[in-house]
Amino acid sequence: MSEASRRRTIRTDYLARVEGEGAMYVRLEGREVSEVKLRLYEPPRFFEAFLRGRSFTEVPDLTARICGICPVAYQMSSARAMEDACGVRIDQGPIRDLRRLLYCGEWIESHSLHVYMLHAPDFLGYPGAIEMARDHRDIVEQGLQMKKAGNALMTVIGGREVHPINVRVGGFYRAPTAAELRALVDPLERARETALATVRWTSALECPDVQIEPEHVALADPDGYPIDRGRIVSDRGLDIEPAEFDEHIVEQHVAHSTALHARLRQRGSYLTGPLARYSLASPALRPLACAAAREAGLDAACRNPFQSIVVRAVELVQATDEALALIGAYQQPDAPAVAVEPRRGVGHGATEAPRGMLYHRYEIDEDGTILDARIVPPTSQNQRAIEEDLRAVVERSVDLSDEDLTRRCEQAIRNHDPCISCSTHFLELTIERE
Amino acid sequence: MSDATLPAVLVIGVGNRLRADDGAGLEAVRRVRDRAPVDWLEVRELRGDPTELLDVWLGREAVVLVDTMRSGATPGTIVRLDASHEPLPALERRGLSSTHATGLADTIELARALGRLPARVIVYAVEGRRYDAGAGLSREIAAMVPTLAERVLREVGSLRSVTAQ
Repeated sequence: MSEASRRRTIRTDYLARVEGEGAMYVRLEGREVSEVKLRLYEPPRFFEAFLRGRSFTEVPDLTARICGICPVAYQMSSARAMEDACGVRIDQGPIRDLRRLLYCGEWIESHSLHVYMLHAPDFLGYPGAIEMARDHRDIVEQGLQMKKAGNALMTVIGGREVHPINVRVGGFYRAPTAAELRALVDPLERARETALATVRWTSALECPDVQIEPEHVALADPDGYPIDRGRIVSDRGLDIEPAEFDEHIVEQHVAHSTALHARLRQRGSYLTGPLARYSLASPALRPLACAAAREAGLDAACRNPFQSIVVRAVELVQATDEALALIGAYQQPDAPAVAVEPRRGVGHGATEAPRGMLYHRYEIDEDGTILDARIVPPTSQNQRAIEEDLRAVVERSVDLSDEDLTRRCEQAIRNHDPCISCSTHFLELTIERE
Repeated sequence: MSDATLPAVLVIGVGNRLRADDGAGLEAVRRVRDRAPVDWLEVRELRGDPTELLDVWLGREAVVLVDTMRSGATPGTIVRLDASHEPLPALERRGLSSTHATGLADTIELARALGRLPARVIVYAVEGRRYDAGAGLSREIAAMVPTLAERVLREVGSLRSVTAQ
C-alpha cells in the first residue's frame, strides 16, 4: 500500500485529565487529516429544562450543581442574570467585592488543579500527577498548598468548598466578618508567593512554538481584569452587551457530541478562556501579575495554547493578589444582600469562569417563576475551536508514531482545560412511528 | 508520622447522597458514629473533592474509608481492601460517580507518592446498584448498611488495639 493511501485512525475512548467524560477521534488518509472529532459523551443532564417552573431565587443553588470545579461561576452568572431580569444591578460596593473574592477562590482552586495536576504532567513527560509526584514531590505540594488557599476562601465566603451554599440572588445569606477574612491573609500570601514561583517555573517548560487563529472572546470590565461582569468583546471587533449574545452567537447540535457547538454568526469558531482573557485584558492585570507575565516572556497577547499553562499561572498571581487587596479593604456590609423583587422579564448574565465566559439567560413571570433558561458554558463555546486546533496539531505531527501522536493530541485538548461535565446539554430525541 | 494529639483511628465515609447508592458509605459511618462515641475514634464524611483527604488524614495512624463501588459484583457485596501498601484494584478506580480528575484510588496513590498516607489504610466498599441522580438507597443496599457499619466497627476495634501498642 502506498504511503498516500494508508489510512490511520487515532482514537482515545476515554480522555484522561479532563473534567468529565469525552473521547477523541481522528482519521488520516495518508498525510491528509480527513476527520477530527472531540466527542463529549457525558450523559445529558437537562438543567435548562428542569429549571422551568422553579423560583428565580433557586438558580444559584440549582445551577451550582452543574459543576464541582466551577460552581461559583454558575452562581454568579445566574444571580446576575436574575438581578438583570428584576432591574437590580450590583456593580460596586461590598457585596460585589465579596462576589469577586469568592470568585478568586474558585479561580485559585481550579487553576491550581489544572496547572499542577492535569497539565504539568504533559510537559514533564508523566502519564499523570501520581507518577509525577514520585519524582517531583515539591511541585505537587505547591499545587496542593495553593488549591487549599482557594478552598479556604470558598469555605469562609461560600459556606463550603464545593457547591457553596451562601450565595443568593441579590448577594449572600451571611457576610463574613472582617476577622474571618483576615484569617485567610496568611495562606493567601503564601499562595501568592507560590503563584509567582509557578509563573517562573511554567515559563521555563519546553513549549512547542505554535499559534492558533480563532477569534478571542472575553468580557471587558472597566474596573479591571474581567471576572464577574462586563461587555462581551473580541479581538475582531465584537463589542456587545450580554443581552445581545443571541444576535451574535448561535449554538448548534452536532451528531458526535452531547455538547452544543457555539459559533459567532458572522465569523464561526471562537475561543474563550485564559488565552482570550489574557490577550484582551492583559493591560488590566494588577501590576504584580503584569510584571510576572513580562518576566515570563509573555507578550501582551498569547495565541499559543501550550503556553496557557503560563497564562493560568499569571491568573493565579492575579487572583491571589486581588483576593488579598479585597480582604484588606473589606468592611462587613450592613446587610449581606439587596432586596430583589420579581417582575416579568428577561435577564442576562455573563461572567468569566476559570475556563472562559459563562452566559446565562432567564425568562421569568411576574411572581418569579422561571419560564425559560439558557446556559452556555465555556467548553461548548470552545469545542469547535478545540477541534480546529486538534486538526492543526495532527497536520503538523503526521510523522509521529500512533502512540506519540495520540499523546500529542491529548495534550492539545488538555491545553484548553475542557470541562465536559459543564458543557453537556441535552440530546435531541426523535421517535419515529409507523 | 502520627500526631498523638489526634484520635488514633479516623473513619471517613465517602460518597454523594444525591447519587442514589453512592450515599451508602455516608449512611454507614453515621451508624458507626452513633455506636462508638469514644475519644480515640473520629468519624468524618467526605462529600466533595477527594484530594481533601490529603490533609484530612495527615498525622493519623490508621484510617478506614467507607465507600460504594461499581465492580460488577452482586449489589450489596461488601469487600475489605487493604491499601496500606498497595494500590486499590483498578476496578475501583472508575467506580465512583465523581467526574473530577482525582478519585479515591488515585488520591490514595497521590498521598503515597507524597508521603502523606497513614500507616494503615483500610477500605470497605459495598457494591451499589444504581448511581443515578436523586437521594435514597436501593432497598438491598440500605439493608446492607447495618452489616457494613458492624464490619467497620470490628475493624476499628482491631486497629485500636494495633495502634495502642
